[in-house]
Amino acid sequence: MPSVSAGHALDLDKFLKSLKGQQLEASINSLISLLKRRQIRGSEPCAIATAHILLQVVARSKWHDVDSLLINVSRTGRRLVDAQPNELVIGNIVRRVLGLIRDEASEDRGDAGDESASEAPTPTDIVPPTSISQQWSSKRFDSVDSSTSASRPPLVSSYSSINPPKSLFHLLSTSPPTDGNVSPFKTSGASTPTWRGNASQIHALRSEVIDGIEEIKDEISQVDDQIAASAEVQIHPGDLILVHQPSPTTERFILRAAQKRKFTVLLAMAPPRRQHSPENQHATFRKKLSAAGVTVVNVMNGGLMAYMSRVNKVIIGARAVVATGGVVADAGSAAIARAAKEQGAAVVVLNGIYKLSPESPFDESSLIEWGDSSTFVSFSDGPLVSGAEIRTALTELIPPELIDTYITNLGTHSRDHLSSLIADHYKREDADFHIWEEALP
Amino acid sequence: MAAEGGQPAPKSEAPEKKDQAAQADQKKADQKKASKDQPKAGAAAEPAGEKKLSGAELKKKAKEEKAARRAAAKTTQPQPPAGAPAQSDAKSGSKPKPKQDGPGQAAAQHGKIPAPRSAAPVTAAPKEVKPSIPDYFSHLAMAKGVNITHADKDVHPAVLVLGQQMSTMAISDSTTRLEATLLAFKKVIDSYTTPHGTTLSRHFTSHVLNPQIVYLTACRPMCFSMGNAIRWLKLQISKIDIDMADSDAKKLLCEAIDSFIHERITLADLVIVNTAADMIDEDDVILTYAHHHLVERALLKAKANGKHFKVILVDDPFERVGLGHVKKLTAAGIPVIYSPDFGALRTNLQESTTVLVAAEALFSNGAMYARAGTCDVATAAFDLGMRVTSLCETINFTERVSIDSLTYNEIDPERNTDEEFRLLFDTTRDKYISAVVTELGICSAKSVPAILRKLEEL
Repeated sequence: MPSVSAGHALDLDKFLKSLKGQQLEASINSLISLLKRRQIRGSEPCAIATAHILLQVVARSKWHDVDSLLINVSRTGRRLVDAQPNELVIGNIVRRVLGLIRDEASEDRGDAGDESASEAPTPTDIVPPTSISQQWSSKRFDSVDSSTSASRPPLVSSYSSINPPKSLFHLLSTSPPTDGNVSPFKTSGASTPTWRGNASQIHALRSEVIDGIEEIKDEISQVDDQIAASAEVQIHPGDLILVHQPSPTTERFILRAAQKRKFTVLLAMAPPRRQHSPENQHATFRKKLSAAGVTVVNVMNGGLMAYMSRVNKVIIGARAVVATGGVVADAGSAAIARAAKEQGAAVVVLNGIYKLSPESPFDESSLIEWGDSSTFVSFSDGPLVSGAEIRTALTELIPPELIDTYITNLGTHSRDHLSSLIADHYKREDADFHIWEEALP
Repeated sequence: MAAEGGQPAPKSEAPEKKDQAAQADQKKADQKKASKDQPKAGAAAEPAGEKKLSGAELKKKAKEEKAARRAAAKTTQPQPPAGAPAQSDAKSGSKPKPKQDGPGQAAAQHGKIPAPRSAAPVTAAPKEVKPSIPDYFSHLAMAKGVNITHADKDVHPAVLVLGQQMSTMAISDSTTRLEATLLAFKKVIDSYTTPHGTTLSRHFTSHVLNPQIVYLTACRPMCFSMGNAIRWLKLQISKIDIDMADSDAKKLLCEAIDSFIHERITLADLVIVNTAADMIDEDDVILTYAHHHLVERALLKAKANGKHFKVILVDDPFERVGLGHVKKLTAAGIPVIYSPDFGALRTNLQESTTVLVAAEALFSNGAMYARAGTCDVATAAFDLGMRVTSLCETINFTERVSIDSLTYNEIDPERNTDEEFRLLFDTTRDKYISAVVTELGICSAKSVPAILRKLEEL
């Protein structure tokens, strides 16, 4: 589905409403089944739902220290990712929350113990993620001083499984200023804060994390607007813009540009499905654009190479962006991006930062979401049903080399910059949370 | 710019097709009526007039006729909506309406009907008229269809029918169109008698053949193969000895046409199909796009030769011609994977070993003119280092050159507005084509000019 239809939005709303009255576990289960049944689909609804449920986990699950909170969150996150592995945003949001908890924990501890906490990197700095763990280990040392060393062990063993890469990284990296402070302890096998706060500290942490998650939610809701802000820069008067199955983000972007510029839009339509007529696709979008004086042409071609010699820019709304810069988008967009490359048209990808995933696929076909085969072929069509294998792809991966620019809510980026954006937003130790969590008891 | 007011929604592919078929039927019926009426009237009028007229008078009459025809052409020409109104007429279940004087009026009467493409020069094309073909593509040709009642009176009934079939895309494939045209022209030749005072070689082309061609072109722009064949036919006509008896000349022409069809189409197809079938190896996975009869025959032939292979068929998402293709292939026992659109094209390509497509025409710079989307398949295959084989009869070769898809193209007559727009063809540059299979053998796309020269010598 190219866009979130009303029905799905309704399901999301219903789910969000149900959150209040339900037990935590029940809400998680209902979200999992909603995801599995594709009743919540599309990256934005999935991200919102994930943020909400994680907020509930933080607010309502039982945890007495940072570690147990991290475990709770990542365990829930893992279940959500398993429910819908194709929606990379779910994992992204979980990682963001995990990183947030780690940050808040380190800050809190800093306040409680050491002045050096003020040196804790803010997420906007481009700092190797390990420096944070270094901070942690140093601080842990400080706080451990005051308590007994016996309080350390509980979780060390489990976390140690992810430590080697960290210390390796540390060995290789040019050290940040805290180096001297840390060096004796960096191999001690624990970045885990063995910080056992008292009730008030836990309360403070809880509210901080909740605030953080609210911020993430705000960010998601503002993404479209912020992306649209750069529309005028990208779209020039007289351009011929090709839009493939516009998502709400893309529509917003084009409409914003339409306020200032006169251009022509080619709308690449989704192929007509058996069940519903193709006529109503994007009708309101068309109406709004025509009202703004922008000509819209609905293009009913699968391959768009024929049009590309005229097209100036291709705008694609991403469902997710993987670490290599490859873009998961609606089926058919890879062919369009390829055609644009052929004729030298720029390919612009619109994606909120929350869609940028630190994962990178080993195999590009693993990110294809296969749809219902009866979308295009009727089950009453005997020879086809029995004789042929029908493949209906809903999403596919656009190879990174076909994409020129990524526009996010933080601005316009090139592919080379994506890795630092990933480093800014996710902690290295959370990158594989959905894998290492298995090792936990 | 009311985006909403839209044409009656084509609910889905199938009903639309049915509609079309119904239209075609109705049209055929109309034609039959018309064709019955016409000869009668002609026969009644002509002998009476002919006897009395002297040579000079005859000439004068011919001149008048020509002038009248021109005038008629003028009035009919800026009337491209003929096709569209005809369709909507058929939909509303009424007879073709005679009251269309100008497109402006017609458009005003039917807000729903897309304004004619050439409406620009016509005075009455007010703004509230539905936007017609988008500016960027207004230079491209489109099958407009000519209402039978507006056709030139000299158009032969067989050609009338053919024109309607072409404009409704009932006959759409380049080679099939060519064959049908030649067969129709044979009938035209059959029914022709050279008037007194002139000869077949001087009279037929300009007075009889040309109106047919004009009509056919108005119905749908000629494809390259038709252009080639008509040029050939005119040459044959001009070669006929002035002193040859009418019946002998006609017989000669018909035989020439027959052998042309046999050599350039029937045999050529056979050779191409056999060659292509031989190119398919055991355990190949062949990716093909939409449907073309040459590809279909090649695949079936390879299967009949006892080869085991698999087919991945990527269909044209907006014209599902591949469904029928899949049925024929599966009926023959070929395992088929059907992908209804370009989704996961790269994955599908990665699974396949070779790409087999058919061309509508080949330009002399080696570019391939084929169903829109073929180029996307070919480039993606090229990226993955796969072989792209194109099947094409040499009659479809043209000495023209095209470097992008918008030089020569056609607009889908049913989807020609802002709200629905569709191009029928695209152009694939030669570097993406590994081999072209023609009846003269397997060659590279670059060798089109060489082959064209060779053909001229023959």
